[in-house]
Amino acid sequence: MAIAVHPGATVGTAERSVEGTSTLWHAYTVLLGATCVMVGVYWDISWHMSIGRDTFWTPAHLFIQAGGLIAGLSSGYVALHTTFRGTEAERAATVSFWGFRAPLGAWICIWGCGAMLTSAPFDNWWHNAYGLDVRIISPPHAVLALGIFAICVGAMLLTLAQQNRADDAMRRRLAWVLAGAGGLFIMNFALFLTEYSERRMMHSAFFYQVVAVVFPFALTAMSRAIKLRWPATAATAAYTAIMLLLMWIIQLFPATPKLGPIYQHITHMVTLSFPLLLLVPAICIDIVLRRFGDRWKTYQLAPLVGIVFVLAFLVVQWPFATFLVTNPLARGWFFNADNFVYWMSPTYEAMTYRFDPPRIGAPPFAVDMLVAIAIASVSAAAGLVRGRWMTRVQR
Amino acid sequence: MRRLGALLLAVALTVVETAHVGSPNVLFDGSAGAYPVRVIVRPPLVVPGLAEVIVRTTAADVQRIVIQPVFWRTGVAGAPRGDDMSPVAGQSGTFTGQLWLMARGSYSVYVDVHGARGDGRVIVPVNSVATGRLGLSPGLTTVLVALGLVLFAGLVTIVRAAVGESLVAPGAAFEPAPRRRANVVAIVAVPALALILFGGAKWWSAVDAEYRQSMFRAPAVDPFVGANGQTLRLVVRDTSPYRAILSAVAPDHGKMMHLFLVRWPSMDAFAHLHPAQTDSLVFVTTAPDLPAGDYRLFGDIVLENGTSLTVSNTVALAEAAHSTPSDSDDAWTSNVVAVPARNNAVAPMGGGHGYRLAWAGGDSALPAHSPLDLRFIVVDSAGNPAQLEPYLGMAAHAVVLRDDGSVFIHLHPMGTVAATAQQVFKARDRGDTTARGRLRPEAFADSSMMPMSFTGALSFPYEFPRAGRYRIWVQAKPGREILTGAFDVEVR
Repeated sequence: MAIAVHPGATVGTAERSVEGTSTLWHAYTVLLGATCVMVGVYWDISWHMSIGRDTFWTPAHLFIQAGGLIAGLSSGYVALHTTFRGTEAERAATVSFWGFRAPLGAWICIWGCGAMLTSAPFDNWWHNAYGLDVRIISPPHAVLALGIFAICVGAMLLTLAQQNRADDAMRRRLAWVLAGAGGLFIMNFALFLTEYSERRMMHSAFFYQVVAVVFPFALTAMSRAIKLRWPATAATAAYTAIMLLLMWIIQLFPATPKLGPIYQHITHMVTLSFPLLLLVPAICIDIVLRRFGDRWKTYQLAPLVGIVFVLAFLVVQWPFATFLVTNPLARGWFFNADNFVYWMSPTYEAMTYRFDPPRIGAPPFAVDMLVAIAIASVSAAAGLVRGRWMTRVQR
Repeated sequence: MRRLGALLLAVALTVVETAHVGSPNVLFDGSAGAYPVRVIVRPPLVVPGLAEVIVRTTAADVQRIVIQPVFWRTGVAGAPRGDDMSPVAGQSGTFTGQLWLMARGSYSVYVDVHGARGDGRVIVPVNSVATGRLGLSPGLTTVLVALGLVLFAGLVTIVRAAVGESLVAPGAAFEPAPRRRANVVAIVAVPALALILFGGAKWWSAVDAEYRQSMFRAPAVDPFVGANGQTLRLVVRDTSPYRAILSAVAPDHGKMMHLFLVRWPSMDAFAHLHPAQTDSLVFVTTAPDLPAGDYRLFGDIVLENGTSLTVSNTVALAEAAHSTPSDSDDAWTSNVVAVPARNNAVAPMGGGHGYRLAWAGGDSALPAHSPLDLRFIVVDSAGNPAQLEPYLGMAAHAVVLRDDGSVFIHLHPMGTVAATAQQVFKARDRGDTTARGRLRPEAFADSSMMPMSFTGALSFPYEFPRAGRYRIWVQAKPGREILTGAFDVEVR
């Protein structure tokens, strides 16, 4: 489809700012939808841990679906409105998609909503074919996670495009909103890695390697894209705050398992473990990019970010994990190190009071950490490229 | 794509193997306190999965029925609170409900009946194992493929927009050069995304393969005929990564194994034997005095955790010279005359005293997938119902076998469940499962409740799993002798 170009060729800064404000409601609505989805996902995992998924129609599931629909339908409305009734200025800030026009973030949200809806019959069939949620990470859950991820990305892009176009005052406001969306983005990765980031694994090299796959990418991209002094730090603070609030609030509600066998006789909602201490590596990445981001090339920056991320994370997470696993003070509502799911057998519970032994035949820990640094460097390179792209997004 | 097609085809083929050969559903007839009940449990194909439970009662004063899934390892203390069953509209005394079986292993459905005459409970043991794979229906396949293609095409379009038009300032022209670059990236994205999709398909294949590995496979039994054809030694072993034999074998009706031999394919010789356990999974019996030939063997065992298993194989028996039974409750017959089951049909039972087995199930073909009462009457030579002595604690035993051997079940008037499995669940929650380190379920049995004789009218609850021709053998003790009669039934 041919692109409708405003005859004026370029739009002035003031004009762009006004146009941005007019679609701000959509960015906020999608952010609300993304928040609903992520809160729903957390709540759903907690529901599985405490009550058991006895039906699809749990409130947590409905929250996720509602969030997806809010993001998808509002974006659908924007696409239809812009395509058929949009002003030239509105149409000018959109991209073409199969003959329709909407901002890129809206299309990603619609795609995410479609992926979430597709995952529903697939997941239902999967449960019937292979059993109910034998594992969190399954192909239909991956499709759902992709849909959720897309909605978070869409929420970020809708704000990002406006941030990149806005004047200084508006840009700062949007950057803070973007940091919130970035928090959801990081949370997405953190939740997907739940099965690989249990407390007892936090002294194993594999845990650091898994973490190195995703977080350098996410933090570096944030650090580049968000127009704040401490961008990755702000987004990570949002992630930490959301995770802590959900962890502390949800466990206030009473709950007993509806499914069995029950090994842990819980009386309240069990929530996920204390969030990963990503704040420290995020601060370090912000410092590195502020000092070297403009001068160094990607291939120089990426290894530096990789080293900084792994070392900073190792330095804080390792001793914190020791505290969580071994110190009785960690077992309470604040640090939540006694968040045993109802199906956790006594044998497994005993395993949570010590760290997993190293894998038989595993290379020395230092060698594995070098591997983690290499992984983190590749991840950071991808994040730098994505971050640069994010700074250029206009529509 | 071909791999995905092959996977879909493979998945579409559903395999069912159950603890009782080809007969997964559980039926129990008995009493919950003062209330007569029939309990039907249809376990799920996969675990965790939903079991369907139906309870029927003729008592008019039942107010409420609660069902609870109890896992062997955790007992009642580790079971979720029970669910109220729903009365079925228009069918008085019928209640339905569903229960999640979340773990693999030995379960029981506890059925608590509440009514005007107080409360009563029955325990219905169920094996919770993954026995099948679900196929993708053509409709669902079409929907998923269509949605998948839309998502794929949408993603390529998004990639094109992300590297192209989205980077153009609002109102600025989308120049040919960046447009060309965006098109190139979109074209490159197609194989890249296809590769990711292919990775997803491989992942699915791996999950499917792992699932098949963990599916239930009945343990095998290796028969060895020894001592000039006079003894039969059976060695039972697990056959798959999913271990079915997780605890010791427990006696059921006082016997460590109930072994059935059926001459194959003529089905004209039949034996019900009780091999002695010589080692944990080794059983030995005297070979029955049956004609030489090929026999299908089916051995029923119950484990101390309440699991009921049937092991099966074929064995070639040599002519045994006037063997004496190694167990006083062994019985065999070499000239079974099976009679087609129709109204007033009567089958001979042998034994020389004129006892016969009358079919009391009517004329019509029996329906599959529907709970039935298989009714018989043991009559004496004058045609009157005979009085029966208990045979292994029961009024009678029945064996149902499909003519291709794919369905086998050993029934009692109380249904398909093993009494021992019920007892071990009761004992498990009392906390006195063992005596000298070994479960002694017979010690729990309340023998004072056992009637000294039964009427000749027999009823076996059963649900045929599929259509076909079946033979039913019924064994009872109208005198001092164990006699066998047989009918052939058509199931549609």
